[in-house]
Amino acid sequence: MTLRIIINVLFGFGAFFALAGTVGLLRMPDAYCRMQSSTNIATLGLLLVVIGGLLYTIFVMQSWSSSVKILVIGIISIVANPVASHAICRAAYRIGVRPEKEMVWDELKEGEKNA
Amino acid sequence: MNEFLYFAIFFVLCALAVAVRLIKGPSVVDRVVAADSIDILTDIALILFALYSGRGIYLDIALVTALLGFLATVLISKYLEGTL
Repeated sequence: MTLRIIINVLFGFGAFFALAGTVGLLRMPDAYCRMQSSTNIATLGLLLVVIGGLLYTIFVMQSWSSSVKILVIGIISIVANPVASHAICRAAYRIGVRPEKEMVWDELKEGEKNA
Repeated sequence: MNEFLYFAIFFVLCALAVAVRLIKGPSVVDRVVAADSIDILTDIALILFALYSGRGIYLDIALVTALLGFLATVLISKYLEGTL
C-alpha cells in the first residue's frame, strides 16, 4: 500500500512537470524559450514516470522483462534528448531564428568569425 | 490500478494541447520541437498504459517510438542546416 502511494506521488509529479512544459510550450514568447520549456517534458516528466514504472514492475508485477524495457527507454531518453536539443538549437541559429530581445553576447558568431 | 489509466489520459491531453503549437508555430523549429514533445508524451502514455493493462507489448512500441523520434529530430535539424 505504501509502495502504491509512492508510485502515485511520482506519477503525479511527472504529470505536473509535463503540464508545466506544455503550458510553457504554448505561452513562451520566442522559439528558444519554447525549446527551453519543452525540456521539462523530456527530463523530469519522463524520468519520474520511468522511476515509478520501474518500482511498479519490479515489486508489484514482478516482471523482469518489462522492467528492463522501461529502464532501456529511460537510458535512451537521457542520452538522446540533449543531443537532439543541441542539434535543433544550432539549426535554429543557422537558419536565422533570433530571440525576441537583442542578444547581448553572441559566442557562436565570434567563434565562427575567428575560425 | 485504475489511476494509471487516468494519468495516461492526462498525458494524451497534454499531447493534444502541444499539437496546437505544432499547427500554428511561426517557424519550422517550433514545429520540430512540438513534434518531439508529442513523441515523448506518447512514450509516457504508452508506459502508463502498459502498466495499466499488464502487457509488455506496449513497452516495445514505446521503445521504438523513442528511438525514431530522436533520429527524426537530428535528421531534420541536419537538413535545415544544409549539412545532410
